[in-house]
Amino acid sequence: MSALSSWFRARLTVPWDTLRELTNEPVPNHLKHWWFCLGGTPLYLFFVQVATGILLAFSYQPSTRTAYESVRYVTEQADYGWFLRGLHRWAATFMVAAVVLHQMRVYFTGAYRKPREINWIVGMCLLLSTLTLGFTGYSLVYEQLSYWGATVGANLADTVPFVGGFLKRMLLGGDAYDEHTLPRLYVLHAALLPAATIGLVALHVAILRLQGVTEFRCATEPRDAPRFFRLFPDHVLTEITIGLVLMILLAVLATIFPATLGPRADPLSTPEVIKPEWFFYVAFRWLKLFSGTAAVLSLGFVLFVMFAWPFIDGWIRRRKPESELSVWIGIVGVLAILALTVWEASVEH
Amino acid sequence: MDEAKLDAQDREPDRRGFLEKLAGWTMTGGLVLAYGTCGVMAARYLYPSRSRGTRWQFVVQASRMGLGDTLIYRSPAGERVTVARQGTTGDALDFIALSSTCPHLGCQVRWEPSHGRFLCPCHNGTFDSRGVATAGPPFQAGQSLARYPLRSENGLLFIDVPLESIATLDEAG
Repeated sequence: MSALSSWFRARLTVPWDTLRELTNEPVPNHLKHWWFCLGGTPLYLFFVQVATGILLAFSYQPSTRTAYESVRYVTEQADYGWFLRGLHRWAATFMVAAVVLHQMRVYFTGAYRKPREINWIVGMCLLLSTLTLGFTGYSLVYEQLSYWGATVGANLADTVPFVGGFLKRMLLGGDAYDEHTLPRLYVLHAALLPAATIGLVALHVAILRLQGVTEFRCATEPRDAPRFFRLFPDHVLTEITIGLVLMILLAVLATIFPATLGPRADPLSTPEVIKPEWFFYVAFRWLKLFSGTAAVLSLGFVLFVMFAWPFIDGWIRRRKPESELSVWIGIVGVLAILALTVWEASVEH
Repeated sequence: MDEAKLDAQDREPDRRGFLEKLAGWTMTGGLVLAYGTCGVMAARYLYPSRSRGTRWQFVVQASRMGLGDTLIYRSPAGERVTVARQGTTGDALDFIALSSTCPHLGCQVRWEPSHGRFLCPCHNGTFDSRGVATAGPPFQAGQSLARYPLRSENGLLFIDVPLESIATLDEAG
């Protein structure tokens, strides 16, 4: 082992000890709480998605004539295809949930505040890329609900003022969903968005490393408790444990509730009951409450406020330093999202 | 000889520097232009070309439809168009041709005879028999079901519809 190690060391003249010191940064003690380890979870799930996604891509054919049949082949014929598809689907669900929970943790602990505004914005971009990955991925199945989901999504883009028409045409590859659409969604889902996500994650982690994790002390902690622990092996072990638990969960869910396949897309008839993926329930219910442009503009406004929140919060705190307004706004926001999601989930129309 | 060369260099630093800068900027400019052209071509390649337009198609012999009759016309693009007769003057204005695509977000509406309305299952938009929105997001936005132009010639009814879409491709395949 040491011979092999010295063989490499002789050829790769890297300052190993410096590198070890640089990467093994002290981790604040609060990261021993599971709640604070949610940031690594989406990253782990992203690796699962890349691995299972590459395997699924071996069989998937992105054309209106073949897409549904190729998914059916994966689900019903290919050895363990049902399992891989189940893993991919459940990991997608978990990834969205983990990203949202991580963002909530960051929000409610105020970890987005100066000097971490930039990383909050990078995180918001990651939230959007995760949601878009979910949307494009589901559209590839080319079953009834995913076809109509994509149609609604594209027409929704059309209602955005000024650039809407351009967005819709770029997404669909024409005026309406046609044979140019699935290749576009596929390239987005399997190439552009994963590449963007990898870049954003690298930036997210690089900024985190530059600034260090926010230091945070729990009220229940004794005053003289050690403030830091080591990344290697302590925190890495925590992440490995999370990875193992997630893998078991994903495998169990993919086995008990495998990914299903609805009826093939029929461009001539919209199903009686139509729902998007659960993480779009909020937006879908919102669309039922307001007319197209009003709904899109208000959703755009909410997104803008989310992006700009560190600066809005800073402005509030400069005026009222003790203000807890951000917490209350957060609670109202989370309750509103929960309420709209449950509402949409509990009714047919 | 060497001294003369050095002297020449001393006398010409400005010209030499200028030429070096000029060469640098020209090459950078050339690169930007070349890659920029490729970028424009890539953008044009990605932006979809316009659809192939519409064409007048025969629907039905006008006299075969009585007042209040409706028929479902399948366009070459595969869309279901509801054609109804709502008058008896004898020209194309007697007829109405309604698209089945909801103007809100593009789902297919269905006719509900018991309620006398079209319902869009996506966001609960409803339309009356003339395609005018009566409830839901299309009503709030004042959107109606799209109407296709109709023309009557020698007692034959023609409709102006798009020619190609995914539905026809699916059937062909």
